[in-house]
Amino acid sequence: MKHGCRYGTHRVIEPAGTLPQPALKLDNSTEIFDNEVLIDVITLNIDSASYTQIKNACGADPERMRSMISSIVRERGKMQNPVTGSGGMLIGKVMAIGPDFPDKKLKVGDKIATLVSLSLTPLNLKRIIHLDPESDQVDVEAQAILFESGIFSVLPEDLPEKLALAVLDVAGAPAQVDRLVQEGDTVCILGGGGKSGVLCCYQAMKNVGPYGKVIVVEYAEQNAARIRDLGLATHVIVADATQVMDVYNKVTEITGPRGCDVTINNVNVPDTEMTSILITKGQGLIYFFSMATSFTKAALGAEGIGKDLKLIVGNGYAKGHADLSLNILRESREIRELFEKLYV
Amino acid sequence: MQKKGNKYGTHRVIEPIGVLPQPANRIDNNMDEIYDNEILIDVQTLNIDSASFTQIEEQAAGDKAKIAEIMLDIVAKQGKHRNPVTGSGGMLLGTVEKIGDALKGKIELKEGDKIATLVSLSLTPLRIDKIKDIRPDIDQVDIDGKAILFESGIYAKIPADMPEGLVLSALDVAGAPAQTAKLVKPGDTVLIIGAGGKSGMLCCYEAKKRAGVTGKVIGLTHSEKSTKRLEELGFCDYVFAADATKPVQIMEKMEALTNGEMADITINNVNIPDTEMTSILATKDTGIVYFFSMATSFTKAALGAEGVGSDVTMIVGNGYTKGHAEITLQILKESEVLRQVFTELYA
Repeated sequence: MKHGCRYGTHRVIEPAGTLPQPALKLDNSTEIFDNEVLIDVITLNIDSASYTQIKNACGADPERMRSMISSIVRERGKMQNPVTGSGGMLIGKVMAIGPDFPDKKLKVGDKIATLVSLSLTPLNLKRIIHLDPESDQVDVEAQAILFESGIFSVLPEDLPEKLALAVLDVAGAPAQVDRLVQEGDTVCILGGGGKSGVLCCYQAMKNVGPYGKVIVVEYAEQNAARIRDLGLATHVIVADATQVMDVYNKVTEITGPRGCDVTINNVNVPDTEMTSILITKGQGLIYFFSMATSFTKAALGAEGIGKDLKLIVGNGYAKGHADLSLNILRESREIRELFEKLYV
Repeated sequence: MQKKGNKYGTHRVIEPIGVLPQPANRIDNNMDEIYDNEILIDVQTLNIDSASFTQIEEQAAGDKAKIAEIMLDIVAKQGKHRNPVTGSGGMLLGTVEKIGDALKGKIELKEGDKIATLVSLSLTPLRIDKIKDIRPDIDQVDIDGKAILFESGIYAKIPADMPEGLVLSALDVAGAPAQTAKLVKPGDTVLIIGAGGKSGMLCCYEAKKRAGVTGKVIGLTHSEKSTKRLEELGFCDYVFAADATKPVQIMEKMEALTNGEMADITINNVNIPDTEMTSILATKDTGIVYFFSMATSFTKAALGAEGVGSDVTMIVGNGYTKGHAEITLQILKESEVLRQVFTELYA
């Protein structure tokens, strides 16, 4: 058996010397290297930006969508949409495990979800079994390769698959909250009413304990009401997070002039960097989960007002993130019911 | 009785209303009266941000009279020197003329002190009465004029024992070495990307000082000239030249240099795009990457780390940290060789 690179560069066909994600073509042969896992794929969960692009390009015709997906995989050896660049994730059963794959608990036959992007996962697609233009879950007959660095989660038996997937998709956020938030802290969660926001609020409330504060800033009244009803914050503010001075005034009315210890930004609209910076204490910390964050606005914004705080780029992966997030569903019946209603 | 001002200077914003001075299109630069928490500065030199100065110089086709005209026009329209194309500012050097009543006696400054402001010109109320001299090779412009420093504004007193030009050029990148000082612990393996540049050299010195004899500082450079210069400075345990946009090559080189352990801390100072993956893969998956490069893409960093399953902590470079001016000027006091290189290149 051949020896593979930790990051899968041994599967890159072209251009040589790149990593699997930016590569144009990957080797999708099903003979595994010593540190890989071979997966019998059941369902591809195509990234929603990618799926929408395919659907629009094919006029929502399922036959044309099938042939477009097949031709992408045939050309690239992976399901990476050439227009959006994005992938998605997959569910499947473990067929074979290389002797040097580091996780020794994984067994052949386990049902897993891969948590690395399809944009870097070698995929050998035989047949599309079921495709519905309205759902980004595509059932297939296919094999995929997970690299040594690839992250995955064994699907729990006590939770429905779709519910587990919906949570695993944003698992990084509550796991980082667990690391950053200490007992007694004042925490502000911008965009607290969405999927990732609700999980962050739950974890923050748990960590701050009885003497801390969790302040949620939410744009939609409906989402704000949900947070209040579920008791997931000590204070809920309805405001537009891009309105710096308005949010600053409302938050500091609760915290006093210094602001929060930790701010978690989950708002997926641009121009909320300065708001995050102003409401956070000097020496405090801001975690940017929003993909709409501008690096330069954050960097120059903090310098511009002379504030010494830590600005962190949200990393979707944290060790143990899948277990922590799935446990929230087990601990909180209310969140589980809410997610079943909204995402399943 | 002076009027009471807002800490962040929102009292000077004319339009649009409700924003901070930096994003504002126009701010009030009337200096006849100051607010109670402002500092009035008699300006001597503007150090225009290099991206901004390059743009103005190109627009003016190198003509100094035209450069002056463009600069005066920016300030006339906005009340500050924020380049409308690049959005950036710069910093200034001047003498404290007046301190607002609410600050007097509460800060270390006295009227007559010579200071450099370390907040951006993109948010500093400025009035230019006359442009006296333009020095295009170092982006500096001497003027007659006044500026306002807000209560939240940061500054450094110019030490009497160092030439002003040298101080200005070092303070311009003061955030990077100061953050290095805070992050690096004894015994750490540190990779500095863009180690041969102005901020890179300061970071290498500070990293070696903090990592100590049990630590290892590795400098990644680009040109042959900067590689040689950094080797001669002697701050790094190892210097190598490579293309920072090639993650696999650099990862392999780092594996060889660190016996497969990789860096505890990587500091990225290189101002070119597509170096995020290189920084992530060169670092331990429990390590720290500090991005000082303004060319960093937030999404490339965030999705890149997740894609390779790395649990690395990635920090957005904050140009300000407490004590940054002191730490940076101290480096130039301590290191004779670095002071010579800086005097030669930037002063």
